[in-house]
Amino acid sequence: MTYRTKLLTSAAALLIATGGMVMADAHATHPETGVTLATDQSFTYSILDDFPSIDPSLVEDVEGASVARDLFEGLMIENASGEVEPGVATGYEVSDDGLTYTFTLRDNAKWSNGDPVVAADFVYGLQRAANPETASEYSWYIEVMGVANAAAVIAGDMPVDALGISAPDDMTVVYTIDAPRPYFPQMTTFPTTFPLHAATIEEHGSEWTKPENIVSNGAYVLTEYVPQEKLVRARNAMYWDNDSTIMEEVTALIINDSNAALTRYLAGEIDFVMDVPAGQFPRLNAEYPGEALSFPNSCSYYYQFNQSDSGPEALKDANVRRALSLAVNRDVIVANVMAGGQKAAWTFTHWAISGWEQPEIEAASMTQAERNAMAVELMTEAGYGPDNPLSLEIMYNTSDSHQSVAVAIGQMWKQTLGVESTLANQEWATFLNTRGEQNYEVARSAWCADYNEPSTYTDLMTTQSPYNDGRFSDAEIDALLQGAKTADDPMPLYQQAEQIASDNAYFLPIYHYASVRMKAPNLENWPTENLLQNWYSKDLYISASE
Amino acid sequence: MYTFIAKRLAVAVPTLLILIIFSFVLMFAAPGGPFTNERPLPAAVMDNINARYGLDQPYWKQMYDYVYNVVFRFDFGPSFQYRDRTVNDVIAQGFPVTLTYGAWSALVALVVGVSLGIVAALRQNTWLDYLAVGITIGAQALPNFVMAPVLVLIFTLWLGWLPGGGWNGGQWNHVILPVIALSTSYMASIARIMRSSMLEVMNSNFIRTALAKGLPMRRVVMRHALKPALLPVISYLGPAVVGMITGSVVIDVAFSTGGIGQFFVNSAFNRDYAVIMGITILVGALTILFNLLVDVLYAWVDPKIRY
Amino acid sequence: MISQSDAKLLNDTAALADVRGRSLWEDARRRFFRNKAAVAGLFVLIAITLFAVFGSYFAKYEADFVDFSLMGANAYQGVPSFSSGHYFGTDIDGRDLFARTVQGTGISLLVGIVGSLVAVIVGTLYGATAGYVGGRTDGTMMRIVDILMSIPFMFVLILMLVIFGRSILMLFIGIGLISWLDMSRIARGQTLTIKNKEFVEAAVATGVSPFTIVLRHIIPNLLGIVIVYATLLVPQMIIFESFISYLGLGVQEPNTSLGALINAGANQMSNGTLWMLLYPLAFFLVTLFAFFFVGDGLRDSLDPKDR
Repeated sequence: MTYRTKLLTSAAALLIATGGMVMADAHATHPETGVTLATDQSFTYSILDDFPSIDPSLVEDVEGASVARDLFEGLMIENASGEVEPGVATGYEVSDDGLTYTFTLRDNAKWSNGDPVVAADFVYGLQRAANPETASEYSWYIEVMGVANAAAVIAGDMPVDALGISAPDDMTVVYTIDAPRPYFPQMTTFPTTFPLHAATIEEHGSEWTKPENIVSNGAYVLTEYVPQEKLVRARNAMYWDNDSTIMEEVTALIINDSNAALTRYLAGEIDFVMDVPAGQFPRLNAEYPGEALSFPNSCSYYYQFNQSDSGPEALKDANVRRALSLAVNRDVIVANVMAGGQKAAWTFTHWAISGWEQPEIEAASMTQAERNAMAVELMTEAGYGPDNPLSLEIMYNTSDSHQSVAVAIGQMWKQTLGVESTLANQEWATFLNTRGEQNYEVARSAWCADYNEPSTYTDLMTTQSPYNDGRFSDAEIDALLQGAKTADDPMPLYQQAEQIASDNAYFLPIYHYASVRMKAPNLENWPTENLLQNWYSKDLYISASE
Repeated sequence: MYTFIAKRLAVAVPTLLILIIFSFVLMFAAPGGPFTNERPLPAAVMDNINARYGLDQPYWKQMYDYVYNVVFRFDFGPSFQYRDRTVNDVIAQGFPVTLTYGAWSALVALVVGVSLGIVAALRQNTWLDYLAVGITIGAQALPNFVMAPVLVLIFTLWLGWLPGGGWNGGQWNHVILPVIALSTSYMASIARIMRSSMLEVMNSNFIRTALAKGLPMRRVVMRHALKPALLPVISYLGPAVVGMITGSVVIDVAFSTGGIGQFFVNSAFNRDYAVIMGITILVGALTILFNLLVDVLYAWVDPKIRY
Repeated sequence: MISQSDAKLLNDTAALADVRGRSLWEDARRRFFRNKAAVAGLFVLIAITLFAVFGSYFAKYEADFVDFSLMGANAYQGVPSFSSGHYFGTDIDGRDLFARTVQGTGISLLVGIVGSLVAVIVGTLYGATAGYVGGRTDGTMMRIVDILMSIPFMFVLILMLVIFGRSILMLFIGIGLISWLDMSRIARGQTLTIKNKEFVEAAVATGVSPFTIVLRHIIPNLLGIVIVYATLLVPQMIIFESFISYLGLGVQEPNTSLGALINAGANQMSNGTLWMLLYPLAFFLVTLFAFFFVGDGLRDSLDPKDR
């Protein structure tokens, strides 16, 4: 290129750029909604804890996964309501036995350094996550996906090449899985499966996620990361669908104190607060209407009863467990303690899971007075009463809201059943250890869905589940859930399993989560209907204030 | 003097070793580890992780490797919790932050505290004195985890003058609130110490003589009284500086400044052994250093002391 | 921790106490009761202690009783009122704040007093032994103190509380053990001067065992200084406990301390339930003020210099 032409082209570019700016100022509107856009398309959100990692193979928390979804793009992505849409892959085909998925990649997907995204990048990404040397804490996800040979590869018994993923050519990714899983495509939206740029990782080693090194294929690139303070990402000009991206820059602020985050939101420093202090939703909703959001979040909060040999004798009696469950006034906890749109839980499976219908649980339709009366009756039958009071210890991990729930439940048991309870809180790591070793009586627990299907919950009720810390065992439930894996319509089987668990009160479901957020009025299109809380910055935009 | 410093530094080595051993023992005795999760990890994954971080080695070997790497390579190892960083990264990131607002706080506490102490002492038993004493006791007693959010409410939410948090590379307006919140109680302590030591000095014979000779008050205070009266303040500075570093936990949480206090507490909760060790050693070394500095300063100010 | 200026002053005081013998206690008492602030502080302290001990008889509710209609989101309805019997209102969990404050005051006082007792007992015994035995033992023992002084104990305590779970016993031990070092130095210094006195020599001559001498003859003579040190230490301990509570490592629910209550109240600061912060904070501040005044008064009264 000669000097002259270069000058001309850059002048033209400048002209276009300034023209675009003027456009943005006066007329720019959202292509679908027609809302006038603000000139400054950037937003700031706050999270409670720093990201343990933003390396897609290592990501282990919800917030880290959000960053990874912005920086990288998997085969599939999700839309606002959680439905699967094409990502780097334009689509997929399933074999008749449901065991082979063939994804076709688009030819215009590029890495942020200009390299094309090829099938081998996906193979490399998944193999890296499964590789014992990477020591990813999320390698289990590959097992949950059912990728062939996943367990053996993770254990180091087979080479990484044996993993059920291959790239016959640059544009095709083939997954082989061990059993039919209708929800499989959705699992390719998860960071563990993301493509990775092998050359970058090999060149920089563990430093590859630093802003100056990272090469990514998502709608955004990492521009700044100050641990414990902030992470900034900006539009990726190389992204294949860059033209549709409206949001220019996204900043995540790490604020360890949810009250401080709220104050700074009110001061206008933050546009979106991820963690609003528990119980504040009604007040915030009244004072800042439209800014306080509450939407379902697929996690269930429950108490486990230790029914193993080390547990107290009383908890092995179904009547005692039922009485304890009935005496818990879930409405008080949902309405007064959490007060953020959570729902009282009578089953383990979250009410909003797709296709799920609650079975008929007798207690759910009673009034609390009836439940209390029944609870007292059951407790007397079991031989406990004023002259032989039961005493229990409730263990929970340190947190203000867990404490409030434990205080309330302890008092409900005391006021209704005369059960004396003591509270014990432990730090997270200690707590998990104690609970995992069945060194408790009653322990707080919570479970979040890995995918949008009831088995993500019900699998925990089986005897062999490693997450069944209550160590209860019911042959009937085991059989039902085994049958559900191959059944055409597994839903009734899930319901029966829940019904049996409820009749025996193997655990005590308390409430189904809801997310409470504060959102600036001009931040638009937040996907409140995405049950798994997956959001993409590229779908968001800032509307101009009138 | 030099032999004194050399001796003290010689003691520092076993001190740090004891610190390392003590922390190691504590951590090995702890239930739960850095990789304990809601979802217990499959044994194979756990083995991979342990192998990766050398946690499958015998304890003595781990300790030996650690000390070896720290001493000869100045390498504190990788963080267990933050998989993308090393402990060196964490310290390089957090320590300058803590040091910046810590140093400013120390300076503010010293200047304001000493001035307040002198004024109170010179105006003993006047309203000025009572006011100063009242303020200082109040400031000493008010927990800074109450003060910090109040400051944010006032200066950020109501007045809108200063940002409510963040560090932003140490931009001046991000430093002010942390410094106020951190320095207040130390300022109060210094003022109280300064007041009582100033009173003592002003009542001593050489000052009385100087005043009797007709020297102006200002000159007597600045030239003769200040130096001896500062001695107790100097010896307070050692523990105070260390206290500021520890107390930075509150500041880091309240203002999201990202200093090492926050890293330490988070690591303790997450069982991030490597970061805990790194920061403990750093703070231990700082404690030794500051105690030594204070002693040297003390000797320099007080001609009576010879080492 | 107590400042070195106080320590130095205490040394002087104790030396004088020794010279003056018995009449010192008479003098000290007279001087103390002339100090209005100190006397007021003493009365306040007595009142607060009575409140902590007998306050629960006036509470209409048990400290752990939850009023479900006033908890969480409805907490703003739990305003202080005489008609409802919640004199101080309710806390966020719907419990009576009056009863909680009574309990919290009691536990804070207990932590402060027991903590400083542990510090004083350990420190005095250790220091007196080192000073009395002298020679190489003394050298070693004091070197150990030097080494321990360089360890950032706050960090170690946080680590211990995180790892071994919290208990009030752990708090007492942890807090007490952090503070005995200064006391041991003071006690040693005093012992060195006392041990050459005639009555000690007489005891040695009559064949009394060294252990008995330390216990019977040395320690009683350190009593004045020990009392003053302990009084000055209590408020530090209470502040310290509040910091531990802030980190969420304080006493276990349903028990509470003023620090825990203040922290809980501070979290609700901008939620329209300010009483949750103000009542415990008021008790906290008043208690600390009282201790500071009494401590200063005791020190001044045992210090014969006219101020």
